[in-house]
Amino acid sequence: MTSREQILQRLKHAPRPYADFRQEQNRHDMVPTDHTDLYRLFVEQAQKLNCSVHECRSTDEALQQILAIMGEDKTVLSWDALPLPGLAEALQQAGIQTAPANDPHVRVGITGVDAALAGTGSLVLASKPGQSRLVSLLPFVHVAVVKSDQILPNFEAWAEQTKKAGFDQFRATSNVLVISGPSRTADIAMELVLGAHGPAELHILILP
Amino acid sequence: MMTAHPNNFSAAARSAIHDQQLGAAVANATNTAASKRRLAMFAYGDEHGETMRQQAAQIRRRALARLPELLEQAETNMQANGIQVSWAANGQEVREQVIAIARQHQIKRIAKSKSMVSEEISLNHVLEAEGFDVLETDLGEYIIQLAGEMPSHIVTPVIHKSKAMIRDLFMQKLNMPPTDDATEMTRFARQILRQGFLEADMGISGGNFIIAETGTLCLVTNEGNGRMVTSLPPVHVALVGIEKVVETLDDYITLTQVLPRSATGQPMSVYTHMINGPRKSDEEGGPSHLYVILVDNGRSEIYNSKYVEALNCIRCGACINVCPVYEAVGGHTYGWVYPGPIGAVITPLLTGLENAKPLPYASSLCGACKQVCPVDIDLPRLLLDLRHDLVEQKKQSIFWRAGMRGWAFVSRTPFLFGMARLGGRWGSKLLPKRRKLPIGPLGGWTQSREIPPFAPESFHQWWAKQHKGTQDD
Repeated sequence: MTSREQILQRLKHAPRPYADFRQEQNRHDMVPTDHTDLYRLFVEQAQKLNCSVHECRSTDEALQQILAIMGEDKTVLSWDALPLPGLAEALQQAGIQTAPANDPHVRVGITGVDAALAGTGSLVLASKPGQSRLVSLLPFVHVAVVKSDQILPNFEAWAEQTKKAGFDQFRATSNVLVISGPSRTADIAMELVLGAHGPAELHILILP
Repeated sequence: MMTAHPNNFSAAARSAIHDQQLGAAVANATNTAASKRRLAMFAYGDEHGETMRQQAAQIRRRALARLPELLEQAETNMQANGIQVSWAANGQEVREQVIAIARQHQIKRIAKSKSMVSEEISLNHVLEAEGFDVLETDLGEYIIQLAGEMPSHIVTPVIHKSKAMIRDLFMQKLNMPPTDDATEMTRFARQILRQGFLEADMGISGGNFIIAETGTLCLVTNEGNGRMVTSLPPVHVALVGIEKVVETLDDYITLTQVLPRSATGQPMSVYTHMINGPRKSDEEGGPSHLYVILVDNGRSEIYNSKYVEALNCIRCGACINVCPVYEAVGGHTYGWVYPGPIGAVITPLLTGLENAKPLPYASSLCGACKQVCPVDIDLPRLLLDLRHDLVEQKKQSIFWRAGMRGWAFVSRTPFLFGMARLGGRWGSKLLPKRRKLPIGPLGGWTQSREIPPFAPESFHQWWAKQHKGTQDD
């Protein structure tokens, strides 16, 4: 008998625990969002997580912000497609080149998001061709570009959307990641330190 | 130093209690975590927090009720997603499977993120003995590995060490320039570990949940080492206990939010991963080969026992952070991988009751653990059941059993009971003023409390007096 059969047989022959479990009637969301102003809620929650939130009134302002974050750097990691027209030109003009996503020596990585969650200030990033997961992981600074219509109430709302689109789409995505603030640790004497392994700075640029 | 073993609990506790550095570090860490948990769990009101706790409890019980079927469903769906699934009955099989995978891919360097299952089966030592380089990459686990110690907490493994101790360790083992700044120390470790991630050809992680309906492996991490381990090396192996499976995406959404609120008081962990398979051919980053090993190692035995409740645990550590015994003795005293109330329950279940006899008694049964448990595990009940089993199976010392039998005989014989009471009353008048016993079998008990004085009359006498002449009632 294989281990698989042995384990399953033992489980199936055991008296069923909780045979009388009740199917829950009403599901409750962990973060209730009767909030009408999701935009404001998202900004507040993200700031609580030590994110730098930039509310941009125009794409121009967002471009300026990115160039300011870049400082003197001449290389950047970036997703292929970002909801920020003119970024490629602006970077080129500043003499900044896009490095391969697995280059560990680049300080700044720029990504879009697949959704943002207002209730917890989180970003949802699906790993796809042209949307490498390494861009939000290897650099010290992560810049995420969010369009205000991408803001969902909470994680439960994202699950609802995912179910509507069908699980096939979700399952075809190798890695779906919810990011809530910059990388952190408190392993040394419970002192909070940002940037343990992942980015120490998370800039969120919200476009109108 | 005495060897770490659950049966050495009493001796280990005696020395731990007098370690002031340890006491201060543990109290600071657990009290901080416990108050953060309260704020996070009840951020939307007491009633809402309790509702969420009950919802999470229901979800786990519904999953356990259908555990074998959900495991089969999860396996089918993970395989359809391109994950290679295997099953391991015990630690030996896990180790063999990991080594076989490593050999097959000609692995030299392994980067690990936190996995309690791997601690259970001492995976690191075996892999190192087989000639692999193994690097623990969670900062806390890395410090543990450098010091050659065991984790003392399941969420924050190194809370028993002060900052100065970690500084000295880094200076001694890694030639870190002197600093007392936690950020500088973390940055220093970051550089070393970053190199380790880039050089590793295999990553090993644990798993917090598996979603049966989608075949998704789920992980939470704060530091980002879990992301590195599951994104950079070409091979990723995840070790997941068979009890970790949940039925639906919605179930997972609740649990993965209740977990960090209970563990560290965060609304969400920094990185909440849903891993559906290896990298696509046109994708940058992610492993080409993804293995999930479903680990039994004693869990199906627990499933087939009255202790099945313990399998609801989602390893948040909230019970540890409120336990007065843990606060007094720290994690190493428990002698194995899992400390605190949940450790006192699952250590005897996973390693055998005779190998962990003192642990069911390492509790005041105050009930704080049950109250904070996000999935409402009745830990005090389980501890009592274990004590019951210890007695039934005659695992106690012969003196203990003889004493208990004597006590039972006396208390069932009214004349002897009355004599014992009188003896106690007169005997207690002989006690010194501070009502402490000299060191002896009961001496320890009175070091921190006084023996209460006997009442001048017994309840029987009082009752008889009160009811004199009211026989008609």
